[in-house]
Amino acid sequence: MKCKLIISLTITCLLVMSACKKVIEVEPEFVKDGSQIFRTLNDYEFALTGAYALFRATGYFGTGGQTNATWATLPDMMADNLLQTGEDLGNWVTQVNWTYATDENDIEVAWIAAYSVIAEANLVLRNIEQFAAAEPKKVNRIKGQALAIRGMAHFDVLRFWGADFERNSASLGIPYVSAVDIDAKPARLTVKESWDNILKDMLEAEKLLADVDKAINTASSKAYFDLVAVRALLARMNLYAKDYTKAESYASMVISAVPLASRTSFTNIWTDASASEVLWSVPFSAGEGSPSFGVHIGSSNRNRFSPSAFLAARYDQANDIRFPAFFGSRGTGSSTPVTPYASVARKVVNKFLTRGTTLDNLVNWKALRTGEMYLIRAESRALQGGAKEAAGLTDLNDLRAARITGNIAAVLTGQALLDAIALERRKELFGEGHRWFDLKRTSRTISRTDPVLTSTKLTLAPTAREWIWPIPQSEIDANATIKPQQSPGY
Amino acid sequence: MRKMLALILGCILSFTVQSLSAQSIITGKVVVEKDGTPISGATISVKNSRLSTASSFDGSFSISAPANGRLVVTYVGYKPTEVAVSSTPLVIQLTESLSPLLEVVVTGYRTSSRRDLVGSASTISAEKIRNTTLGSFDQALQGQVPGILVQAQSGQPGAAASVLIRGKGSILGSNTPLYVLDGIEITAGDFSTLNPSDFQSLSILKDASATSVYGSRGANGVIVITSKKGKSGAPRFNYDVQYGSSTQPENKLKVMKSGEKLDYELANGNPFGWTTSEVDSLRKVETNWEDVFFRTGRTKNHVLSASGGSENTVYYLSGSIFDQTGTVQNTGLKRYTGRANIESKAGDFVFGTNLSLGYSDFKNTSENNTGIATPLNAIRWLNPYETVYDNDGKFSSIVSGQPNAMQELLLNNNLRQQYKGVGNIYINYNAPFLKGLSFRTNWGGDLRVNETTVYTDPTTATGSGATGGRGSFGHGSDRVFRYTGTTSVTYATEFGADHTLSVALFNEIVNSKGRNFAFTGYGLGGAFQNESGITPGNATNGFIPFVRGGGGENALLSYFTDIHYGFKNKYFLNVGARRDGSSKFGANKRYANFGSVGASWIVSDENFMARLKNSFFNELKYKISYGSSGNQAGIGDFQSRELYGRSVYAGVSGLVQTQLANPELQWERKTTFNTGLEISLFNSRLRIVAEYYNSLTSDLFLNKQLSRTTGYASLTSNIGELQNRGVELSLDGDLISTKNFTWKANISFTRNQNKVKKLVGDQTEIIGGITINRIGESINSLYVVRYAGVNPANGNPLYLDLNGTETETYSSGNRVIVGSFESPYFGGFGSSLNYKGFEVSAFFSFLTGNKIFNNDRTNVENPQYLTDNLSVDLSTEWRKAGDITKIPNPTATFRSATTRFVEDGDFLRLRNASVSYSLPQQLFRSIKFSSVRFFAQGQNLFTWTDFRGFDPEISTGSLDGAQYPALRTITFGLNVGL
Repeated sequence: MKCKLIISLTITCLLVMSACKKVIEVEPEFVKDGSQIFRTLNDYEFALTGAYALFRATGYFGTGGQTNATWATLPDMMADNLLQTGEDLGNWVTQVNWTYATDENDIEVAWIAAYSVIAEANLVLRNIEQFAAAEPKKVNRIKGQALAIRGMAHFDVLRFWGADFERNSASLGIPYVSAVDIDAKPARLTVKESWDNILKDMLEAEKLLADVDKAINTASSKAYFDLVAVRALLARMNLYAKDYTKAESYASMVISAVPLASRTSFTNIWTDASASEVLWSVPFSAGEGSPSFGVHIGSSNRNRFSPSAFLAARYDQANDIRFPAFFGSRGTGSSTPVTPYASVARKVVNKFLTRGTTLDNLVNWKALRTGEMYLIRAESRALQGGAKEAAGLTDLNDLRAARITGNIAAVLTGQALLDAIALERRKELFGEGHRWFDLKRTSRTISRTDPVLTSTKLTLAPTAREWIWPIPQSEIDANATIKPQQSPGY
Repeated sequence: MRKMLALILGCILSFTVQSLSAQSIITGKVVVEKDGTPISGATISVKNSRLSTASSFDGSFSISAPANGRLVVTYVGYKPTEVAVSSTPLVIQLTESLSPLLEVVVTGYRTSSRRDLVGSASTISAEKIRNTTLGSFDQALQGQVPGILVQAQSGQPGAAASVLIRGKGSILGSNTPLYVLDGIEITAGDFSTLNPSDFQSLSILKDASATSVYGSRGANGVIVITSKKGKSGAPRFNYDVQYGSSTQPENKLKVMKSGEKLDYELANGNPFGWTTSEVDSLRKVETNWEDVFFRTGRTKNHVLSASGGSENTVYYLSGSIFDQTGTVQNTGLKRYTGRANIESKAGDFVFGTNLSLGYSDFKNTSENNTGIATPLNAIRWLNPYETVYDNDGKFSSIVSGQPNAMQELLLNNNLRQQYKGVGNIYINYNAPFLKGLSFRTNWGGDLRVNETTVYTDPTTATGSGATGGRGSFGHGSDRVFRYTGTTSVTYATEFGADHTLSVALFNEIVNSKGRNFAFTGYGLGGAFQNESGITPGNATNGFIPFVRGGGGENALLSYFTDIHYGFKNKYFLNVGARRDGSSKFGANKRYANFGSVGASWIVSDENFMARLKNSFFNELKYKISYGSSGNQAGIGDFQSRELYGRSVYAGVSGLVQTQLANPELQWERKTTFNTGLEISLFNSRLRIVAEYYNSLTSDLFLNKQLSRTTGYASLTSNIGELQNRGVELSLDGDLISTKNFTWKANISFTRNQNKVKKLVGDQTEIIGGITINRIGESINSLYVVRYAGVNPANGNPLYLDLNGTETETYSSGNRVIVGSFESPYFGGFGSSLNYKGFEVSAFFSFLTGNKIFNNDRTNVENPQYLTDNLSVDLSTEWRKAGDITKIPNPTATFRSATTRFVEDGDFLRLRNASVSYSLPQQLFRSIKFSSVRFFAQGQNLFTWTDFRGFDPEISTGSLDGAQYPALRTITFGLNVGL
């Protein structure tokens, strides 16, 4: 009897012992634990890819079901280039009609989208120096891009949330995040301090990317920040900061590196058949969303925003290569093709519709182009005045000549020249996410003359609080430091 | 040990002593009084002696007893019966007992009678769900017992219900109970491939004493299901068949008819620019989109089972076919199941297996969203002057640009095939060398494979919106296997004259592993609507397939004990303790301990109750318990870790951080106090259970808010406390009980009060959209601005500010709590009449005190959606000064987060009504049938509610849109036994 008892007890013990602690030592197989990566420089490169991919996120360049592509097409919708139609079902009416408050979800999504890119860039930058001695040029390549990403995303935040863009302004700027710390409660810096940080990152990126182990982009693909793209971004930043000599000089560097596209190539840019004059573009493939679903959904033919008729009338429609590349018309029905602008009454933006024949809104988001560099240089030179003004006019005429067949060079000075440059920006960069910021940094007045819906609000005064986006309520609630720094008027 | 030996010796001695008096061998048979079915396993003992035996598989027994002695026969669920010893073979008839304390309760790891059960558990017998016409059995639990709130959520065939035991104890985590079938954890909300008529009983475990042995999984309550076991004897067959039909319930949200809509459009700017002649011709078109989408659904159900066995081996086998088509076209469920339960005895070993295999075929449509391609939204949104087909018989294109929803519904399909296997094997060994010592090991798994295919036709809006614009075909496969292994040693003994003790030690391992893979290919529209129809992608056609996959795993390791002590069969004490280790939690918090202590007292057995007991009062039991259990469901497998997932940019794979680390993450802990009375009166014809509970969930999973500049909104942490307390009452009565006529009635009622006790740090509230979790209030309280109608002067909407003053200014600062999504009162009641086999019964369920946010209305009362159909109410909108109306002028800013769209969720529903007739046995005995019963039953025949939608059963509190209402089903059936 005792023997049996011992046997059964032993069996029981064995069964129990087999269930040792190993049972709950389960490791993730389909995701990586943080402790498993950042061991080699390749892991850092993986994370860099992750940071780039976040530019596609909903609220940055991507359109979501409920959130617009904040830095892609939204700035044109909030201004006077794109006009809301009934087919949008009122989805982005708070932004388009400037009725947002601190609890506006889309604004929070945009805020998080930008800082997510920054957080991922900071993960790339954390401890990357440990490999600098062994592989300096590779470190330069990865670190330079991460810095440019961080600078770019902060600059984009500043564009919406900055009270103004003066280089030395003491007005409210943005929090600058340069380290990985989830408990941080950063304050809003002044605009000057924001610029200090942004430009520091950008200048270091410029330095590092000049000395790398291998080419970052190819002739046909400009998906990454290389030296030219960083300089193009610096040109744009300096224009905003009103540092016109630097803006001019960076624009010149880019123009000499990457000339304007030929007229044939220009049309091909919008179907990604050519990467001519593209400096940085974010690729969108099937299953990765689209930056332009908010404008015109090609597949289902839902025309949510139609192009401004006022603007369309400003083009030399017969001779301007940009016009047919940007503007079209289309009858209803999902299989109806896009036709030339004059064909039917329903006008559509056809700039972002397709790479080939399928109207799937899948084209790369062209974030930086040489065309913009001409306009930056023209404006910088015109504003510097004196002998430079004429050079600015030449830039404007050069750009027009490249786009318009048989263009006759204009002769303009003073305000007339500046107005012509501003109109040319509208025409050249139509739908590319500049208009709201151009108005914000120059006149701060919106006047819509050709609304589609009766509910569309027509004017936004320079004094309106809406020019400066509110810090999202959730940020105010979670971050005591920023609490007393809400944008004025909210 | 020495004492035990003494006891055993004592037994043997007494046996010897008894043997000395004049004995004779008595034989006989134990049968059920009602129908003569033999009862195996009944205990036959000689009164005033220790001699006893058990009846064999055919009910027969033999025992030696003194010639002048009496035999006492007991069997669980039947009245103890005493007969005088007789020299001729005895036929002892047992009658079913109504005494609630004799009821058997399976609490998962233990089976006990209700008498010595300390914890709070309700049981639902198989009979209640045997003939359910609902694809997912959980739907049938609604209102049956107190403390459990079951809400249908969806009428889509096979859709699972939302099941909540004693209120929501978690905000971020799951509130779904743990489901255990024959000792194996099964996946909640995934029951449509199980056959409910295979179930013998369901126990709903509610308090800590009952659930703490489930440790870290028990906090939301446990539903323990036991499948049917075979009964020894000749094979008995049962065949159940049902045929019926379903219709959609009444719709209370009315939209405009053609004339009304056209008038509205003309009054508001004529957005489509209709000419007078167009308007005239459109007025003649009248499409009722409700009629277009809904149809009469069909239900068929066949169940065949066989049960029988020898003395040593018993079996239960069953097979079933369930075929239901939904009330929405192109939806339905077909299910095939098979089960084999076999148990065998060999010496000291008992071993067996329970195995269920099933296959389901689902046809679904998308629901509960606001998507324009969701066909169910078209019922509200499509204009009545539109038609499904144009004059050429083709699908018409809708003027407003909305997809033709009928085209979406009929040409696209969303199919799911589910393969499910749930089974276990077990071995029980009763140590022959020590009475009461037994070992048991039970291993089993729940395997579920879902094969999903989604086809979108190139001509539909969804299909043309696919990559490449030419339709799509997706095929996904998702496999989850969870195994549970429990090994235990139990020692049960009696000592002294009055003491019983049972001690059990357990070890348990649960591991769940899942993996999924899916691809979506494009370029359909050729000859095939399946995998063959996919056009391979190339550089120009854009048909780049979308491929994805993933998986997860989690595991649990536990050691636990369950100790039960009884004194004088009157006082009972139960102690449970469990230590759990979970792979889900932070390295610092992997293990946690849970435990409970409870006691019960059979007051009615006390001497001071003797007088009462002999009059109307039969039984009174008091119970009390306190203890803890945990919750680890509803968070990710690796929620405590910093995670990086795959990320692709420019065709290159990389990694992106997807989750922040929280090494301190641990279980939610629910501590529950429970006390109650179980009473039976008037010869046990009135049975009452009343309970009070108070539970507090601490270490609540909540999102610690982060500065958004981290790139994250929050981090899942253990912060906060939540209280649920309430009262449960159930009354069960046999109002009239004669041989030919019975009238039964029952009521179950629950009052649950939910209160947030503590949030993050010194935070007093968390606002999320239209809801708020504020300290001192129920979770999911509605937090909106009060709507006060329309200013007759200018048609602007009026709101109330915090002081209750009317204002035209809408400000989120004026939001107040106007109720909660959570239901404070719910229950059910029913009654049945039986006269000579003819039975009529009705069962009602109700819910009251909750609010529903009717988002469906916001989409048809928003004048901005002028191009689509609108609520008839908008015809009464403000047009000119002096108009008295509740609908503002159409140019006023539309605000949805107001009380204008908050409605009462109260309803009373005739959940089930049935009429049946059991043929008298003499009619068919000659053809060897043992029972024949005809019946007709109706589900959800009537609902009384003010809610403006199809169905007020909305567990999420907000009806987003596209509601698939619960089915109103009438079936006719037949149960045959032979």
